[in-house]
Amino acid sequence: MKKSNLDEMQELALLKIARNGCWFAFWGLLAAMGIQMLLGFPGKAILGEWIIFMALGVYLVAACLHQGIWDRRLKANSKTNLAVSAVAGVAMSIFFAVLFRGSALEPLNYLLICVIPGLAVFILCFAALTICSVLYKKRREKLDRE
Amino acid sequence: MGKNLAVKAARAARDMTQKQLADAVGVSRQTINAIEQGEYNPTIRLCRSICRALGKTLDELFWEDEENEEIKS
Repeated sequence: MKKSNLDEMQELALLKIARNGCWFAFWGLLAAMGIQMLLGFPGKAILGEWIIFMALGVYLVAACLHQGIWDRRLKANSKTNLAVSAVAGVAMSIFFAVLFRGSALEPLNYLLICVIPGLAVFILCFAALTICSVLYKKRREKLDRE
Repeated sequence: MGKNLAVKAARAARDMTQKQLADAVGVSRQTINAIEQGEYNPTIRLCRSICRALGKTLDELFWEDEENEEIKS
């Protein structure tokens, strides 16, 4: 294999650049999908971004779990998972509130349209985080035993 | 991380520029400068290469008092 053109410090710098690029792409894709939905684009138009976004998300989660990594600051426990899921649920409710603002819906229906997706996201998010927490702890035990 | 004056002094004692030391150990001048300024922690491999190039030991060039490490961390 050809020797790298970069020395160790430059390699670290390049890794930081790639890391920043990855997160820029992640949040950029999420923002792009959100904006397109708000502008009324059909689902098909957002499909490409959604596939890339999901693939990136799955890769990040799988790779971190494989390395026995959870987060720099947050712990893998129910309390934290509940809090994070609640934030995701509230964000989704707000998004739907904006998406359906100005529509000719009765107040009660409008409220339900905002709350139900938020609740669904909360439940799904908490379930996913709980499953990942279990997988993470099992992987950590295995890595610590080796 | 404080400045690494030991590396700078050892390099100066051999009348070497940062570029010459960098070439000797196979890194960029930027990296040698960052090490001397205390902005970069080299790997043990690079530390050893620098020690060989300057004819010094690891302790002489890269030892740091515990007090200094605690204050900086």
